[in-house]
Amino acid sequence: MSLAARQAEFMAHVLEEGRALPDGWDARFSAGLDIYRNAYRTRLVDAMRETFPRTAQWVGEESFAAAAAHHLITNPPSVWTLDLVGEGFPDLLAELFVRDPDVPELAWLEWTMHLAFIAADVAPLDREGFMAAVAGFGEDDWPSMALAFTPSLAWAEVKHDIPRLWNGLKQETEKPECPALDQPATLAVWREGLQPVFRLLDPAVASLLATMQGGTAYGDACAMLAELVGEEAAAQAAGAALGQWITDGLVVAVRA
Amino acid sequence: MTKITPFGGFGLGLRRSHYSDFLDGNVLIDFVEAISENYMVDGGKPLDVLTRVREKHPVALHGVSMSVGSAQRLDRDYLSKLKRLIDRIEPLWVSDHLCWTRTSAHNSHDLLPLPYIEEALEVVCGNIMEAQEALGRPMLFENPSSYCSFPDNEMEEWEFLSEMVHRTGCYLLLDINNIYVSAHNHGFDVMDYVRGLPLDRVRQVHLAGHTPGEILIDTHDRPVCDGVWQLYGEVMPLLGEVATMIERDDAIPPLEDLLDELDQAHALATRARERRAA
Repeated sequence: MSLAARQAEFMAHVLEEGRALPDGWDARFSAGLDIYRNAYRTRLVDAMRETFPRTAQWVGEESFAAAAAHHLITNPPSVWTLDLVGEGFPDLLAELFVRDPDVPELAWLEWTMHLAFIAADVAPLDREGFMAAVAGFGEDDWPSMALAFTPSLAWAEVKHDIPRLWNGLKQETEKPECPALDQPATLAVWREGLQPVFRLLDPAVASLLATMQGGTAYGDACAMLAELVGEEAAAQAAGAALGQWITDGLVVAVRA
Repeated sequence: MTKITPFGGFGLGLRRSHYSDFLDGNVLIDFVEAISENYMVDGGKPLDVLTRVREKHPVALHGVSMSVGSAQRLDRDYLSKLKRLIDRIEPLWVSDHLCWTRTSAHNSHDLLPLPYIEEALEVVCGNIMEAQEALGRPMLFENPSSYCSFPDNEMEEWEFLSEMVHRTGCYLLLDINNIYVSAHNHGFDVMDYVRGLPLDRVRQVHLAGHTPGEILIDTHDRPVCDGVWQLYGEVMPLLGEVATMIERDDAIPPLEDLLDELDQAHALATRARERRAA
């Protein structure tokens, strides 16, 4: 058996219990394989628990362990970093917890906070930096202004008050609550300094952010927003949003 | 390729629960060993912490995922991220393990055992040469602990390691606990193992705890046991100037407990140096 074939066979035994052993792999060899298999499962479930501690707390240890094991069977790790072992887990939870849609929403927040924690360091523009960047703008430059956002920024639509649940779980309150929102909202995650943070966004701001992060110029994004909320409201929302993004450290570059 | 200058320091691993000790205090150790993969990230707190720790201590980078024993070639993305970390941290040295962790399809995130056959030796040596070329430096490779021994082994583990060093010019990280664990599990004599190695190529020694049982398991979750201390005391007089480090990866105690173990290592190493000089 070639080395590659031998390693594929060994890996199959690590991933799956009960396979027939090749010739020469005796009972003692099998006992050793059991140790590797157990270590594999323990290490990866521990990594999942470390990445999704609040999700584990919310659904209970037994349910979480079962879901994590399901994830590792259907999506065994293929890359060198344990940081990505939870990739796709929120989507799986959406299938497993059909009657509890708050569960995948909470898991999405944990996963996105986890990615933000190790996202690239890029210094944001503060108010002075932004003013300097637009100092040379003429009246015609503003509509064509495009923004580059911090690499940690991500968002998703949620239907439950996930921030309230997050804080309830963090404080280990006896019965954390997760009420449904009156209407779906956008939950944004990014990193301030070294600390990942999140916030529910106003729908108009969320719409503007989504279009501008996609590369749309400020003028076009405002026009698209005006179609939704009217020109006056759009102008007010856009001005307020821009100021808030600068305060929050979301903007890292300005292009005319 | 540059040589690795011997360094006789005593160090500890950088673990999350000790971050504040290393950042805020004045920890009296000679070097810190960091798990490379924990810091091969784009940015954020882990990299910030390691960079600040590096301002206070020399750092050795110790990897677990290079997988030089994989029949597939090395992962180029992994190598480039490791190189980026090396350029940033300027470590004492860079080490990994004699093992494999992945196939073309899956990653075990564990240090899996190799058959000690010529085909595996050629694969390992080719991969080590490629890694050393890409990183622009010689590396250290650690002897593994293992729970399976392949029935068609053509050579002993120490013979495999010796030939690996000879063919690639790499150095050794000698894990005393791993020798102890594997000797128990596979029935070889610890001193046959040690004396069979090119000891002048050892630059670092690891000490750690294991879980007892019919098969010993290298868990790094408890203090170094008496048998491993005894073996350390026997091996150190045979080595030149080497760095010693206590590995603890689970059930991590307060830093003071690990510093006490490091003091014990220091005392044994001092006695060994005196015996060597006598």
